[in-house]
Amino acid sequence: MALMESLVGVLASEAPRHNIAKIKKVKLTVGALTHALPDALQFAFSVLREQPLFAPGAELEIEERETRGRCRDCGVEFAVEGNFGFLCSGCGGFAVEIIQGRELQIDYFEGD
Amino acid sequence: MQIKLGQNLLGANAAIAGEIRRLMEEKGILLLNLMSSPGAGKTTLLEKTLAALKDRLRLAVIEGDVATTKDAERIARLGIPVVQINTHGACHLDAAMVRDVLPAFDLDGLDLLIVENVGNLVCPAEFDLGEAMKVVVLSTTEGNDKVPKYPLMFREAGALLLNKIDLLPFTDFHLDELADDLGRIHPGLPRFDLSARTGEGMDRWSEWLLAQVEERRRR
Repeated sequence: MALMESLVGVLASEAPRHNIAKIKKVKLTVGALTHALPDALQFAFSVLREQPLFAPGAELEIEERETRGRCRDCGVEFAVEGNFGFLCSGCGGFAVEIIQGRELQIDYFEGD
Repeated sequence: MQIKLGQNLLGANAAIAGEIRRLMEEKGILLLNLMSSPGAGKTTLLEKTLAALKDRLRLAVIEGDVATTKDAERIARLGIPVVQINTHGACHLDAAMVRDVLPAFDLDGLDLLIVENVGNLVCPAEFDLGEAMKVVVLSTTEGNDKVPKYPLMFREAGALLLNKIDLLPFTDFHLDELADDLGRIHPGLPRFDLSARTGEGMDRWSEWLLAQVEERRRR
């Protein structure tokens, strides 16, 4: 809910700058490592879209991204299984950098 | 009309956290963000840590809680400046909440400011408060599965306190399993096995923390 409230906060300041009175659609990218659950985000959005900032029936599209790591030793990039396998699949090294999975980004919004 | 944003949802929080971090660096204060599940023993641990350090460092505390001021009252009894933030239902503190209470402290007269976050292992890991270090408390009674279930918290931590070590014989907690899991998620993470209740292991932690504060002051 707090995340969706910050989403509404961002949109409330951005929409007027682009002369948009009613938002019809918002697109979010959500990484697996954030533990932000798409269903919970959708539910929170369904409550918050009642605000005048949104057109009736405004839609939230969520693109989910898996967690990916890159080994600092051998450079191999790999999917981090179950959010837990921070062990390089190439050399077994521990020095793994998170390159994907922490996203919580508003990609775009649409409206009139 | 479609408006491309590409803006991080937590971007506003990150900006405020950056301001707090710069302020703390300027004042030479170590800001610590203390996190755990509910019931891991954060407040007792904090009380004992403050009691051990209060003659050697100038301390203050920000208590985050969903409701109630019980924890803040416990800290105030030690004679240490404390401000309570009630999140009114939110499961974590954010940077703006911390920024807004900073004027309550004499920042020129502080060495260590500890934020006790809301008891929760998920959201607090995502919200940067401008801290120099996150310290996560895990207790033996919670079971080993907290580490693999909440990897981000343990990855982000600068130190891990394993509390309730006195209860180890009465639980199914395995120290070997903890070491294995941490080896995969955060190798080299400083870990202190202790019991805030009995005092076992508290010295090692307090000394380490003191060294971190001194290092910050020297910079």
